[in-house]
Amino acid sequence: MGTIRTIIFGLSLTLLSLSAHAEWALNLSPGVTEVSRSVYDLHMTIFWICVAIGVVVFGVMFWSIFHHRKSRGAEAHHFHEHTLVEVAWTIVPLGILIAMAVPATATLVKMYDPSEADLDVQITGYQWKWRYTYLDQDLDFFSNLTTPQEQIGNEQAKGEHYLLEVDRHLVLPTDTKIRLLLTANDVIHSWWVPALAVKKDAVPGFINEAWTRIDEPGIYRGQCAELCGKDHGFMPIVVEAVPPEQFQQWLAEVKAEKQAEVAAAEKSWTLDELMTQGEQVYLRACAACHQPTGTGIPPAFPALKGSPVALGDVGTHIDIVLNGSPATAMQAFRDQLSATELAAVITYERNAWGNSTGEAVSPSQIAGILAGNADTAGEGAQ
Amino acid sequence: MHTDVIQRCWRTLLGVLAGFFGVRSESARERDFKEGRALHFVVIGVVMAVVFVIFVIVLVRWALSITGA
Repeated sequence: MGTIRTIIFGLSLTLLSLSAHAEWALNLSPGVTEVSRSVYDLHMTIFWICVAIGVVVFGVMFWSIFHHRKSRGAEAHHFHEHTLVEVAWTIVPLGILIAMAVPATATLVKMYDPSEADLDVQITGYQWKWRYTYLDQDLDFFSNLTTPQEQIGNEQAKGEHYLLEVDRHLVLPTDTKIRLLLTANDVIHSWWVPALAVKKDAVPGFINEAWTRIDEPGIYRGQCAELCGKDHGFMPIVVEAVPPEQFQQWLAEVKAEKQAEVAAAEKSWTLDELMTQGEQVYLRACAACHQPTGTGIPPAFPALKGSPVALGDVGTHIDIVLNGSPATAMQAFRDQLSATELAAVITYERNAWGNSTGEAVSPSQIAGILAGNADTAGEGAQ
Repeated sequence: MHTDVIQRCWRTLLGVLAGFFGVRSESARERDFKEGRALHFVVIGVVMAVVFVIFVIVLVRWALSITGA
């Protein structure tokens, strides 16, 4: 008796602690859109149907085991078929499936209707970052992970939004139907934000459509949901939903910043200024592969420290950074970084970790190259 | 003769439908094997498969039309 009481006490304690952990519930999020709520309702409906079936099936099973129990040596009863029972256990599940299919179809039809959107955003997956292009807005930027390397390497305590924080949020207006056009630049990625109930593959050479209409302003985080290589877990998504007026204001600000960047490329930069900015750009855009120490991970990601490219002809170095290197993991950064950032990072690579060419690449030189080759910029933002 | 053909077709059809459904009594199964012809089952089976596909297409069209998509 004492043991049973202990077991019951232990079990109830476990249950209590489970409800205490409801904060990080394992269940689906109801989300912040009409579609996400209907997905949630659908999930719960089907869940409870499954619970009811489970209770009935296991109830009958356990009851039968107990009720029909026989002593050792009992002769089993022989019976072969019962058409009526077989028909019943085929019809009943069919009916249940149809009952679940009706609301599921209604939700799916809603989910797959991206027509009459007020804003189009193209989302492109890269190894390992997202690029957001606001079509018809002349706005285009990359969104990179900002979690410091020290937190990833367990040298620092992990932050609140560990691996779910980026430098530039995907800012979207609330109460607006937004069409999302998904594609990828290299391998298959998948853009997944649970609060919006959007999870869609981004496939190179294809455009997939999804849509959302966010009801509540807020920040919604997500991740890449298709294994895409080394840093698959390091390309989060952060959606920032703001009221429409604030969205317009944000658009104006971002465009002004872009103008300022163009102006910054015109001024003359000292080697030190370029090095300071270059280090920031390097850690954000290059360090994942070439490592913060410039030693790379050979043979996939070559070292830059003491490399013939970083120490040799500056033209070749610029070409590789701007246009990538065919048949390797080296991407073309001409669309990913501004002229100033490109100049700074190339300067940094030529003068950091004991690479001491003393050469500074000026932003205006890069701006010239970018302008001159505008027609060969490939699938850049037009 | 004529009614016999109709009756045999009808039984074959019932056998095929029972196959689609997945339940057939042992006595009916024995009769199918004794009196039925394999070719008839194959032909009617293929025809019913096509009918089923058409049924699904019509069902989807109908579902889309009532949900307004």
